[in-house]
Amino acid sequence: MSLSRSSAANSAKDTIDIVTGLVLLVLSLVLAFYLIPNYIGEPPILQNPMMSPRWLPNIVSWLMLAFALLLVAQGVLTKTAKEGDERKLVKGPVRRFLVMIAGILVYVFFFEMLGAILSGVLATVLLFLAHPVRTWWAYGFAIALPVGVTLLFVNVMNVPLPLMPF
Amino acid sequence: MDNLAEVLQLFLSIDNFIAIALGVVIGVTVGSIPGLTATMAVALALPFTFSMQPVAAILLLVGIYKGGMYGGSITAILIRTPGSPASACTLLDGYPMAQQGHAKKALKTALFSSVIADFISNIALIFFAAYLAKIALNFGAPEFFWLICFSLTIIISLSSGSMVKGLLAAFMGIMLSLVGLDSVFGSQRFTFGNYNLMDSISFIPLLIGLFAIPEIMEFYRKKAMPHLKAKASGVGMTLVELKRCMKSIVRGSLIGVIIGAIPGTGATAAAFISYSEARRRSPNKENFGKGEVEGVAAAEAGNNGVAGATLIPLLSLGIPGDVITAIILGAFMVHGLTPGPIMFQENLSLIYALFLGIMLSSVILLVVGNAAIKYFSLIADIPKSILFPIVLMFCVYGAYAVNNTTFDIWVMLAFGVVGYVFNRTGIPAAPFLIGFILGPMFEDNLRRSLLIGNGDLSIFVRGPITWFFIVITFGSIALALYRFFQSRKEKTGSSPDNQSA
Repeated sequence: MSLSRSSAANSAKDTIDIVTGLVLLVLSLVLAFYLIPNYIGEPPILQNPMMSPRWLPNIVSWLMLAFALLLVAQGVLTKTAKEGDERKLVKGPVRRFLVMIAGILVYVFFFEMLGAILSGVLATVLLFLAHPVRTWWAYGFAIALPVGVTLLFVNVMNVPLPLMPF
Repeated sequence: MDNLAEVLQLFLSIDNFIAIALGVVIGVTVGSIPGLTATMAVALALPFTFSMQPVAAILLLVGIYKGGMYGGSITAILIRTPGSPASACTLLDGYPMAQQGHAKKALKTALFSSVIADFISNIALIFFAAYLAKIALNFGAPEFFWLICFSLTIIISLSSGSMVKGLLAAFMGIMLSLVGLDSVFGSQRFTFGNYNLMDSISFIPLLIGLFAIPEIMEFYRKKAMPHLKAKASGVGMTLVELKRCMKSIVRGSLIGVIIGAIPGTGATAAAFISYSEARRRSPNKENFGKGEVEGVAAAEAGNNGVAGATLIPLLSLGIPGDVITAIILGAFMVHGLTPGPIMFQENLSLIYALFLGIMLSSVILLVVGNAAIKYFSLIADIPKSILFPIVLMFCVYGAYAVNNTTFDIWVMLAFGVVGYVFNRTGIPAAPFLIGFILGPMFEDNLRRSLLIGNGDLSIFVRGPITWFFIVITFGSIALALYRFFQSRKEKTGSSPDNQSA
């Protein structure tokens, strides 16, 4: 049993590369056989096939396919040193990450509805809570900064932002 | 004389001085905070430049770039955390010096060598950019086509780690750059009927998403680390020490200039080559790695010697040499300017005004750098838990400001996720960005060549300039493949399996 497990581990030396390669392989196939033929219009008469709007996307999708296969092969054949592997993270609590995502989504969904100031305050407070920031006075920044930065954008830099919901 | 008056009129504006000073301050500040990068700061500052004059806008970004290059060394010396990859070399001698109580000396050495190297690099920029642009005036579409092919091969050198992943990232970048209306036939490409995608994917939200959002995501995904405090103690650098290091500084600056002018090589390589050269030639070579002041000087000179030189291919040929110059290229485009030989004919005064500003940035770096050493603890003591929510706010406001639409916030978020996945899978983001920028240029020049040549492919080998670029393109590919197989061989030779066998 242990023998088969170790031989399986040896045959797949870098799982991340193999999975990434397979995902990109599927993506390039979708591009080559579905997206390019259906979502790029081609003019009826072409002087040269290289002038076609589909020419470069086709070439690139086939190159992606070839290199995705190479990545899978690289993952199977090459062992990556575990020490110093920058892809690995020492993960913290999931709650922290989820509250941060909620903060970003506040901007995405409520930026125009609530305005830059209110959505900024709400998202910043959420991100402070996610860490969490325990010094109470720091929460003053969560109000002062969105107000200050919004006014800086609107009044100094002449960049129009939705100010308030009304 | 008329030109000089026009240059001075463009340059002698209070806005330009404020922009350079502010840029350097932001760059040093951001560079000295581990986790925040100069690339991120330049990307975030881009939306602020919309309402500025072109000269002030570019100088602000160049100031951030230069400040960031130096700022990265501060944390490398004091807390053994390089603010940028290029500062990793400064750490080798800088941190041991700090541990021996000579932190201030190391910081001053880093500052003086950075400023000298930056100045030499700026001089090289002024001399070579105009010369190269003059040569490039003879280029037509086929010559530019091969130049872009050569520039695409730089992606291989930008692919730190895996060449396969770097090329995959570049192909993805090229593919996404094709979204929108086709420039020749007006056909829709991957727009899925969405009018927001008709004019291609917005560059700034993509940039912010790719380089700023993943850092924020990683901070909240990672286990919280204790906040490190640092102090710059000891005495500064003496004149005798500066004289002793001068040879290494000048040599390092020239190495930086040569490497910076070659697209894709980057500051990290320049810092390490300069360091190893200094070590090889120094009478104190046994002190290197144990706290040698010449080691810090050589690393920083190599690192900062690149800054001005990377602008040579950008200004003279319109080709970005690295990620930051790619962002600066975006800033030129936002202001309706296209860097390249034509700009030297049509906007010469603007280019010389930029040169003056870039020269001034070296002096400002000296002043700001000195202050940063003094007040560094104030900057670095801002916890990231307070900093990152503010960074996110700038990201969102900046992305929205481009077209005043929430769609761009979605684009930013989508590319943030892409950037995060890239980090987790080891796919480099720099080739993706270079591919995104060079993809349309490649296609445009290919089609223009075909139109000029009436479909005859012999136009691509029409003269000595095209032959030259064909040779260096294939030479660059051959060199990359040679390096790839060489490193494979070394890895296989040193693998534990082989050793045990």
